Amino acid sequence: MTGARDYFSHLWPTLPEAILHDLIEIFHQHEAKRKSILTAEGEVEKYLYLVLEGVQRAYAIGEDGREATLVFTYPISFSGVADSFLLQQPSRYWFETLTPSKFLRASFQDFDAVLLRHPLLERYLRLAISKTLEGVLARQIELQSYTAEQRFRTLLQRSPHLLQLVPHKYIANYLGMDATNFSKMLGQIKI
Amino acid sequence: MDTQTLLDQFHQRTEAILSKAVTEWQNLPRQQLLQKPAPDRWSAAQCLAHLNVYGDYYLTAIETAIQRAQSRGNKPGASFRSGYLGAYFTKVMLPDSKTKMKSPANAVPPEVVDPIKVLAKFIDQQEQLLTLIDKARMVNLNQVRIPISIAQWIRLKLGDTFGFYIAHQERHALQAERVIKG
Repeated sequence: MTGARDYFSHLWPTLPEAILHDLIEIFHQHEAKRKSILTAEGEVEKYLYLVLEGVQRAYAIGEDGREATLVFTYPISFSGVADSFLLQQPSRYWFETLTPSKFLRASFQDFDAVLLRHPLLERYLRLAISKTLEGVLARQIELQSYTAEQRFRTLLQRSPHLLQLVPHKYIANYLGMDATNFSKMLGQIKI
Repeated sequence: MDTQTLLDQFHQRTEAILSKAVTEWQNLPRQQLLQKPAPDRWSAAQCLAHLNVYGDYYLTAIETAIQRAQSRGNKPGASFRSGYLGAYFTKVMLPDSKTKMKSPANAVPPEVVDPIKVLAKFIDQQEQLLTLIDKARMVNLNQVRIPISIAQWIRLKLGDTFGFYIAHQERHALQAERVIKG
């Protein structure tokens, strides 16, 4: 999947051709090396990303300087700091690549213009955001009521490929575990 | 040599090592990282522990030197030319060099290391190195100098420091790879 047409046909198979046509016009290729910061805390997210290759994460830095990994993105998915993009307000998070990455991305101005031209696109967008909200709330439950081991198993079921793609410290951080504990659990599962 | 091309090459070579560590080594069982080809040879974990000792020194030294240079208003140059010593150190350090070397006592890894911790630290250091290679685009690789770890009075150009540090990593990463493959 390299082009915007393929990508949107996959994400939204019923999207009318007229909208598809306008969307393809505004999404452009973008590449970033490993550990590139694409959006810094305090900046307004300028782009809506579609991930073609690689793994990225959004994370917050607490007052004590500690990182909290909020989400990983990888193909096939939207990416970027969603709330900052949609509300056009300063981001509270950092958005960075964890591996060399390729994207298609559209600027807010361009995307907003297409939305204004095609009110039906709002509906597709609402469904996409609803899915995201569903995921965020599910993770909220995982964080509040699962044990570390349950969180670990849930992630390995959902995204086992991450183990081969990103340094384990990021996965441990996402799960709220220290790295030693994480490697212990990983060792037990392999046996 | 063109500065940006050189830094791109440093980035790619570091990326290659880091990618190997992330996609392969960190998923190996501890035992495989600890096995030795012979009683007097290093395990893969020991090879990486050896590199971590140099990382502790050079990454800090490079970071400090870049910051100082920037605060002095140092600007990047279009091209880089190796110094005499820098070129020599890099040449003998590369994996295909025939020169045998003995590690200084402080860089000989202990017999017992925790392979998971060693590898995690190694991966951290490669990520830091990528960041430093990027920061180096803001300063002059000919003018910024870094004292070498074993003799503070010898100061190599930043471009040469990256060159020989990365060559050293390649040398021992290959050694680790050979030990892992058995």
